[in-house]
Amino acid sequence: MAKPETNNPAKASSKKEALSREENLKQLEFQKEAVVHINSLYNYALHLTMNPDDAEDLVQETYLKAYRFFNSFERGTNCKAWLFKILKNNYINSFRKNSKEPGKVDYDLIKDFYHSIKDTRTDTSEAESDFFHTLLPEEVYLALQSLPEEFREVIQLCDIEGFTYEEIANMVESPIGTVRSRLYRGRKLLRAQLESYAKKYGYNTDTEQ
Amino acid sequence: MNCNKTRVLMSIAVDGELTVKEEQMFLLHLSECEMCRLEYEEAKKTKMIIRNKIVRFNAPASLVTMIMQLSDVEAKKTEDTLSL
Repeated sequence: MAKPETNNPAKASSKKEALSREENLKQLEFQKEAVVHINSLYNYALHLTMNPDDAEDLVQETYLKAYRFFNSFERGTNCKAWLFKILKNNYINSFRKNSKEPGKVDYDLIKDFYHSIKDTRTDTSEAESDFFHTLLPEEVYLALQSLPEEFREVIQLCDIEGFTYEEIANMVESPIGTVRSRLYRGRKLLRAQLESYAKKYGYNTDTEQ
Repeated sequence: MNCNKTRVLMSIAVDGELTVKEEQMFLLHLSECEMCRLEYEEAKKTKMIIRNKIVRFNAPASLVTMIMQLSDVEAKKTEDTLSL
């Protein structure tokens, strides 16, 4: 075997360049496949952690892990679903363990949060006289947050993120039948909650404006 | 099919995830039952409300930059390990 210290520097650098190219390709593919989902991941992380700083950390950890294991991502499958699963696992393993009161919802925080970033989206002019249209975004958000986590989660993944039942089943590690029934029960609860908000909204003008 | 069974299928129907057979039974029942037809409209509405009223945030620019750099750093790390 040749002594390593006498390695031809030119040869060494060409080897390094070859690796660079490979690594570069991986990086490009990663950005194209995975980084494009950053907004969805950030929103999911916000819903889980209820805190912008934690959400950032969670997303960062997720991408770090995803990059390390990018080779094990099955090409042609849904990369977003793959990333969500990593994020969820990360959240369970590190975040939920550390949070003081898991599952406790800070309603004031949400309200403030929503007020601070208002106008991200303006309501479309739906001229329906439906009472649901009187609901404010933060009320819908609170209604969703008031659901038990197992229900909230599937509704989020299905209605907000648009995953299929199969993808959701894989993410929450439950059979499709369970996903179906959680969606059914969760929506029933959610609807009751929304109706109570809508009713309340009818009499109650928001005190702080 | 009765109304109870139909109600369970409704939630699946709004997601377009009924099997062909389920869909046939479901539509047949809807064609015969006005209550379920109305309820189905409500179910669709609820899904739309969630979808439309939940505000989506953009990830902070600093985070996006960090993620881009992150893969840079990781790429270099991998490279160094491999070239050892």
